[in-house]
Amino acid sequence: MRKRLGVILGLLIAVVLLAATAQAGTRGSKVTTITLSGWSSGPDEDALLQQVVNNFNKSHPSIHVDYSVINGDYGTAMTARFAAHNPPDVFYVDSSVAGSWAQQGVLQPLNRYIKSSKYDTSKFFPSLLGAFTVGKTIYGFPKDWSPLAMEINKGMLGQAGGKAPTNWASLLKVAQTMAAKNVTNGGKPICLSPDWARMLAFVYQAGGSLSNLTSPAAAAAVNFYVGLMNKGLATTPDKLGSGWCGEALGKGKAAIIFEGNWVLPYMKSTYPNVQYGVFPMIKDKTGGNLAFTVSYSLAKDSKNKPAAWTLLSWLTGKQGMTQWVSKGLALPSRSDVKAIGGRQAFLSAAPYAHGWGFGNPHFSAAYTVMNNDLTAVIAGSKSVAAMLSDVASALKG
Amino acid sequence: MLGARLREAGWGYAFVAVPIVVFGLFFVYPFGYAMYISFFHWGILGKQAGASGTFNYHAVLHDPIFHIALKNIAEYTIGVVPLEMALGLSLALVINQKIHGRNFFRSAFYFPSIASSVAITTIMLYIFNSDGLFNHIIGSHTPWFQSAGTAIWSLVGLNAWTTSGTVMIYYLAGLQAISTDVYEAAALDNTGAWRTFWKITFPLLRPAHFFVLVVFGIGALKLFDQAFIVGGGSGGPNNATQTPVLYIYRDAFSNFDFGKAAAAGVVLFVIIFTLTLVQRMTVGRQEAA
Amino acid sequence: MTLQTSVAAAEPFIPGRARAAVARKAFFYVVIAVVAAVFFIPFLWTLATSFKTIPDSVNVHLIPHPWTSSAWRAIWTQYDFKLYIKNSLFLAVVVTGCNLVLSGLGGYAFARLKFPGRELLFLLVLGTLMVPDQLRLIPVFVMLTNWHLIGSFSGYILINLVTATNLFFMRQYFLTIPKDFEEAAKLDGAGPIKTFWKIMLPLALPAISALVILQFQGTWNDFFWPLILFGQGSPHLYTVQLGLAELNFTYSTLWPQICAGSVIAILPILVVFLAFQRYFISGVVSAGVKG
Repeated sequence: MRKRLGVILGLLIAVVLLAATAQAGTRGSKVTTITLSGWSSGPDEDALLQQVVNNFNKSHPSIHVDYSVINGDYGTAMTARFAAHNPPDVFYVDSSVAGSWAQQGVLQPLNRYIKSSKYDTSKFFPSLLGAFTVGKTIYGFPKDWSPLAMEINKGMLGQAGGKAPTNWASLLKVAQTMAAKNVTNGGKPICLSPDWARMLAFVYQAGGSLSNLTSPAAAAAVNFYVGLMNKGLATTPDKLGSGWCGEALGKGKAAIIFEGNWVLPYMKSTYPNVQYGVFPMIKDKTGGNLAFTVSYSLAKDSKNKPAAWTLLSWLTGKQGMTQWVSKGLALPSRSDVKAIGGRQAFLSAAPYAHGWGFGNPHFSAAYTVMNNDLTAVIAGSKSVAAMLSDVASALKG
Repeated sequence: MLGARLREAGWGYAFVAVPIVVFGLFFVYPFGYAMYISFFHWGILGKQAGASGTFNYHAVLHDPIFHIALKNIAEYTIGVVPLEMALGLSLALVINQKIHGRNFFRSAFYFPSIASSVAITTIMLYIFNSDGLFNHIIGSHTPWFQSAGTAIWSLVGLNAWTTSGTVMIYYLAGLQAISTDVYEAAALDNTGAWRTFWKITFPLLRPAHFFVLVVFGIGALKLFDQAFIVGGGSGGPNNATQTPVLYIYRDAFSNFDFGKAAAAGVVLFVIIFTLTLVQRMTVGRQEAA
Repeated sequence: MTLQTSVAAAEPFIPGRARAAVARKAFFYVVIAVVAAVFFIPFLWTLATSFKTIPDSVNVHLIPHPWTSSAWRAIWTQYDFKLYIKNSLFLAVVVTGCNLVLSGLGGYAFARLKFPGRELLFLLVLGTLMVPDQLRLIPVFVMLTNWHLIGSFSGYILINLVTATNLFFMRQYFLTIPKDFEEAAKLDGAGPIKTFWKIMLPLALPAISALVILQFQGTWNDFFWPLILFGQGSPHLYTVQLGLAELNFTYSTLWPQICAGSVIAILPILVVFLAFQRYFISGVVSAGVKG
């Protein structure tokens, strides 16, 4: 045993030395290698993006793009790379953190590249581009987006009259009919997430806004949202034995949910037998919706900015984006790119959708306060007014 | 004799040299760095504009969320550590005996510790769902992991179960060091099984107790992973899964307020250090050199 | 000799007593069998789910309905789990080996060698346990980046050469070994290295086994540091845990594939456990005293 340990020790030292001297290969100097990073949203998406990247590599022989997925805590991994001044050249930025990443100085302002390449940014939907703009400085181009829509179980809707609600009043009516007929067999007619990333849409529908949370409109919206739960017409997914409302719809525990484009591939693969319809988000005094979007951005510390800009502008340009949205996994953020069929319910929300994140550097910090307070309000241990003032001050930083 | 003493000291330093260097580089230096930046406004790319001072400590110590985090972690630690020790020790005692299928039972008891936490957490979340198996049996509808009142205790149960296998291994090793002469003497005196355990085995396991108490106590105070998974990273619902390390993590990687995160880290360190010193002076006192 | 049997041997034979003893024994086995079953269920569920289709994987029953091995095929072909296992094995073996040597020597020094500042240094060792990973992430990462140890296994191995837990554990174990052995060795004129190699190590077999099992498992299940240090842009370096993470998405988790991957992930740890747990033999120390 001891002799074996001695041999193992010697081998170990050799192995450690070997590992320490391992070097990564280098490419020929004619080709600029740049790195593209993002998180993973599904095997189909990863494969599609790899294909798009391959097409870029083929059509741009002097640039080679290494695409890598970060399969874990994207924010933490990126923060570490930023701190070490060793980030990927082009990467995803979620709109909710765009404001704070820009403020921290890790994103490259794009204005002078736009000017020198005469890039036409007018084709991007303004609310989407606005989520990545601070003042007049643009920090990224939206690569795709999704608003919220209303998904309803067809069978259950049929039992309640067959007509999808279009505003708060009809939502209430339909839910009451569903509850009376117990269409969900022990569940609740509506599944509502205890999440401002859903409830904020209702605030905009009531005529309120994130910059004016102490208005009566904002309070009215929260009271309507929470009120549906108090009336027994809605509840949160955990009370329906689900991790999120999509799961509740799939399990037949809820008839009406409000989710984005991502619910379509989920239902197709996990609950393929559930018949549901996608309807536009309801309105109240006005239309109100949230645009969840992600940008491609350029790293401030990138060592290959011109090549990175070429990639970035191509991916979010007409050609790149057309390829990216061709499978319907995402909606185009440009007006000159057509979405695949059947997405009208989402696209019709474009005029009323507000970019989630709002370019506010305190947004991601405020978001935690928002949701913790909301769960307290739902549980009845906090007042609506207290939550709204908490959130308003958190947003100011 | 001085020569011998010097030589022994020389060997002592030689044996601990590499560990001390590793710890120095990757623990002491980062902690010193944290102590330094805790007095500044510090962002991703370094020092930001603004004067230095103790404002970060002020912010942390007066933050009601940090207080909730401390309260949560205190409840959690007091709940989970005795449970882990008791479970681990019981399992070790059971499989230390000559029973039929000893290897099978050893493997079974060790399983929850080696299964990937994804599988375990998923299954637990599934079983303790509002309409899951557990609620079916006891006739309730509470979503155990998602309710503010029960989330922390559900975590206590989950982690005590998954770490019991690891504690079992440590106690098993400790039990092997107890000479069998001791048991033979007890048997000759007609000492009952329970008495033998309580008056002989348990006290002889003191070094193991100290180890488990310190290591798993500190581990409990640093709770992050499961709280993150269960609470979705926000510390919810309603701050029920807020822990000090989660607080540090959010300050650093969500709010990019590295100075404040460092201050919170220093505060946590001081708390853990004090508690460990107390443990050293009570349970760990009898340490011969 | 074990606790139970030695006690039973000392008692005189009484018929009623024997029946009660048998009943107690049966009850004992029933209890631990139930406990073992409960502990085993997560693994059974994982195994069962790996043979389900995705729509079926959200159901609780243990029998797949229908049976399919598509998840296993996907794991083996679409994802390079053969490579991931190789990488994980390499790291686990190297890190465990280094830890064994360094905590063995260090633990022995802290337990039995006298040198000035020993208690202070030991407090420093304990102190490292109190620094959460999240707090030291940035400084460590920046350091390793500047030394070009990112994107390969080197940085990871370096920071995991030895852990305070292992060092602390070996120290505690060495403290329980009676001094007689070292006295004897000293009389024979052995220096610290010889004493360590020939006497203390063999006596510490149970502790070594525990350390090997637990460190192997720890490195094998490590996700955070591999992700940060070499898990970006280097799929050829992926470990099993990073591979499993490839199957985890926000809205469409592929449960059957993850379960298949998890089963693959558990097997090596199980092998290591079964191989080393037989060194948990009582009497190693006492045999040494008698002899």
